[in-house]
Amino acid sequence: MSYDVTIERCGLMALFDLKGAPDAVSKWAGDALPSLPYRPNSRTEKDSIELFYIGRDHWITRAPLAQENAMEARLMPTDCPADISIVRVSDTMTFFRIVGPDAGQVMSIACPMDLHDSVFGTDAVSYTEVFGLKALVMRCQDGIEFAVEQSFADMVEDYLIRATA
Amino acid sequence: MMLITCPFCGKRNESEFIHGGPVGAVRPDPNAVSDEEWVEYLTVTPNPLGPVQEKWWHARGCGEWFTIWRDTRTHDIVEAPDGTK
Repeated sequence: MSYDVTIERCGLMALFDLKGAPDAVSKWAGDALPSLPYRPNSRTEKDSIELFYIGRDHWITRAPLAQENAMEARLMPTDCPADISIVRVSDTMTFFRIVGPDAGQVMSIACPMDLHDSVFGTDAVSYTEVFGLKALVMRCQDGIEFAVEQSFADMVEDYLIRATA
Repeated sequence: MMLITCPFCGKRNESEFIHGGPVGAVRPDPNAVSDEEWVEYLTVTPNPLGPVQEKWWHARGCGEWFTIWRDTRTHDIVEAPDGTK
């Protein structure tokens, strides 16, 4: 059975992993980031910079790769206080976009989470499983986007091709 | 298939979690117990019939560690028995 979807393997993006108490992270980041999402597994966005609330006192921020150096200059990972942690992780994750009318069907093969609109809304983002691997899943325009550890990307691409063949 | 409620993420599939062992197996001082007691601590996992408190790690999720009570007869996640925390 074939599915009406388009699979896109995305290029690198600027990613920073942030950990620490919300007040401390917010104070250090200042206006370099969108406001911290208050609801677990949700995201906020400002000027093409997204902030994912993906664990207790744990966020990932994403921006276009062209902004990586500027973000690093503003977040200053090597100078941050000891009670927070900021690490550039841009090259550790590979994003895939599954878009099209059957994107939900394809994701239902790969992922145990209920990704229906009513449960997994437009601002939802969460770590879960995709093909048994830890993956960061979120909604995108006309479909679902997810990221896996970079070293699994070729394998996941192969799985997606087989699942949609 | 079991749904486990993560305190951060809510109900999730069991496959996202890793079992972290029973709660309450206090590590004895290996110098103060007999070889038999030490081997029993290392190798024998308590497996009572009924509610047991267990540690779970949301490894393929938010990374949270938490404890739940699970009934070993039914696999149901249950309330803590009266008088326990």
